[in-house]
Amino acid sequence: MKHLRALNKKAAALEAARDNGGMEEVVAMQVVAGCTSSTDPGWEVDPFGSVASLCQPMEADLYGCTDPCWWPAQVPDTINTYPDWNHDAPSASNDWRKLEAVYPDD
Amino acid sequence: MIRTYHVAFAFVAAIFALVLTACDEEQEAPPAAEATLADTGRELVQAICTGCHVKRDDGSLSRISFGRRTPEGWDMTLVRMMNFHGLSLTKEDRRAIVKYLSDTQGLAPSETVPFRYALERRPNIIESGQDQTMMEMCARCHSFARVGLQRRTKEEWLNLVHMHVGQWPTIEYQAMARDRDWWDDARGRVVDDLARAFPLDDPAWAAWQDAQRHALTGKWRFVSYQPGQGYHHGTLEFTEESKDEYTVHFDSTGPDGVAVSGDYNGILYTGFEWRGRGDFGGQPGREVAALSEDGNLLAGRWFHAERPEMGALFEARRVGSGSAIMGVDGEALRRGAETTLVILGTGLSGELDLGPGITTEVTAASESQITARVRVASDAALGRRSLRVGSLVSKDAVAVFDRIDRVVVTPDYATARVGGNGGATPIQAAQFEAVAMHNGADGEPGTADDFRIGVVDAEWSTAPWNEVAAEMNDDKFAGVISPAGLFTPGKAGPNPARVYGTNNAGDLKVIATVQDGDRTVTGEAHLIVTVQRWNSPPIY
Repeated sequence: MKHLRALNKKAAALEAARDNGGMEEVVAMQVVAGCTSSTDPGWEVDPFGSVASLCQPMEADLYGCTDPCWWPAQVPDTINTYPDWNHDAPSASNDWRKLEAVYPDD
Repeated sequence: MIRTYHVAFAFVAAIFALVLTACDEEQEAPPAAEATLADTGRELVQAICTGCHVKRDDGSLSRISFGRRTPEGWDMTLVRMMNFHGLSLTKEDRRAIVKYLSDTQGLAPSETVPFRYALERRPNIIESGQDQTMMEMCARCHSFARVGLQRRTKEEWLNLVHMHVGQWPTIEYQAMARDRDWWDDARGRVVDDLARAFPLDDPAWAAWQDAQRHALTGKWRFVSYQPGQGYHHGTLEFTEESKDEYTVHFDSTGPDGVAVSGDYNGILYTGFEWRGRGDFGGQPGREVAALSEDGNLLAGRWFHAERPEMGALFEARRVGSGSAIMGVDGEALRRGAETTLVILGTGLSGELDLGPGITTEVTAASESQITARVRVASDAALGRRSLRVGSLVSKDAVAVFDRIDRVVVTPDYATARVGGNGGATPIQAAQFEAVAMHNGADGEPGTADDFRIGVVDAEWSTAPWNEVAAEMNDDKFAGVISPAGLFTPGKAGPNPARVYGTNNAGDLKVIATVQDGDRTVTGEAHLIVTVQRWNSPPIY
């Protein structure tokens, strides 16, 4: 480590943790908390068959699903099919009540 | 587009009227038959769809003529044309086109049988029995039923694959592209298998073209068991208002004995696919059912139009077409006890017989319902046994038991969804039942002599499914379960009271506690309470 120098606050915090004997507190994330292409959570359940590793709250990352059409069977994709779906709801966390169901009444 | 079409249609109609007028001068025209819904649909297909779909010399239309679908499948195709290509259709036009295409390019009854659960909107279905490659390719996003309820040529199945890639490019990840050469699989093996399993040309469809068609007109006896509530039963009176379009008057008695009457509408598609809709006793209802090939049995499911998980399977039999036992209320008969048994059916007559060790006293009897006091001897043989009314036999209709050994909660795995709270999507609830079981003569659970006693009252509770769920207090936020086993999930939206503002999702055990004398017997099921969906087509 003598050839490496901390350049930002996070790296400095890691160095401080090492110097103060706090290495045990620095642990890697055991579960990816969110939609990523490396774990493929479903819309309804996570890779472990539960809900704890889904994006929670879902609204925090909803447009990360809709923009690239991640779960188009459940969530309207804005990349192609429903480009205006969230036009009036810029923040899903605040505006989720404005999001309409898309299948038209028959 | 609509305006263009209406102008064009008016022009065609004017020409048609002129031709008719010219004919009038030469001879008296026969009275014009009123156009049926399917006739209107055919005209609309020719007037609208041919704007893009090329008409070939043999009369076929590009793409359209090379697939067959259920009414719901055709409606989803039309909605796709609306979304992808800006097609504008009224509800009435949509219905007419769906009627015409379902009649001429539908599925035969036998082709729909493996996947009717999806049409009927049954909740808590876990699909199984399909090829793993096919499931990974198609059923990681939507049900496999959506696929299995279509018929296409091989070229059309390939077109469907290309459409998916173009419209939803992340399919590459969803289809496990990191782990295999998915694109070769999709274009090759999967298309081959689909074309073989679900071909456009099928003997079943060819035979259905020649099968006799039956109108629904007349009186029917229906019986329906609603989980968590009990039996609904009564009569349906079908009146055909126009070809394949009906009004239905119903007189129904619910589990609580309350009588409800009303009227609703519906359409018979493809000669057997009944779709009813209207006011079902104060709530917006839908019916999806199939008419048997002899035209005397209508079997399917009714459900709440906006909350399809709330509903029940039903069967209706044409009055006068024969006799049948259609439901038995009070199937669990305890040794040494006296209880009331209600038998529902049509054409019921003759002696009620429950076999040795059980005496019966009929307190009320009609051709559609028999109510009897039943006394079970303390030494009556244990196990399921048949019930007879005159010459009718309902096999294994009742159970004689002495104790409840186990409780099985059904469904053993269920899904509920948060909803409401000012958002566009309602909650999706989950209904559970406690089914009492007997271990049989050997006293061992899980052996061949075990038998089902029946649904019993239980005290219901929930608990976290695992440690993480306990840490997140899922059982406090995800929802509540009623004394009747109905789980009502929490409200939609981020919940500031939870860690990270987590939704009211949860991973729960559902526990039924049954008191059997001085013994307590419990059973468990798994419940996932998850987030809402905004895209809810009629085939999930």
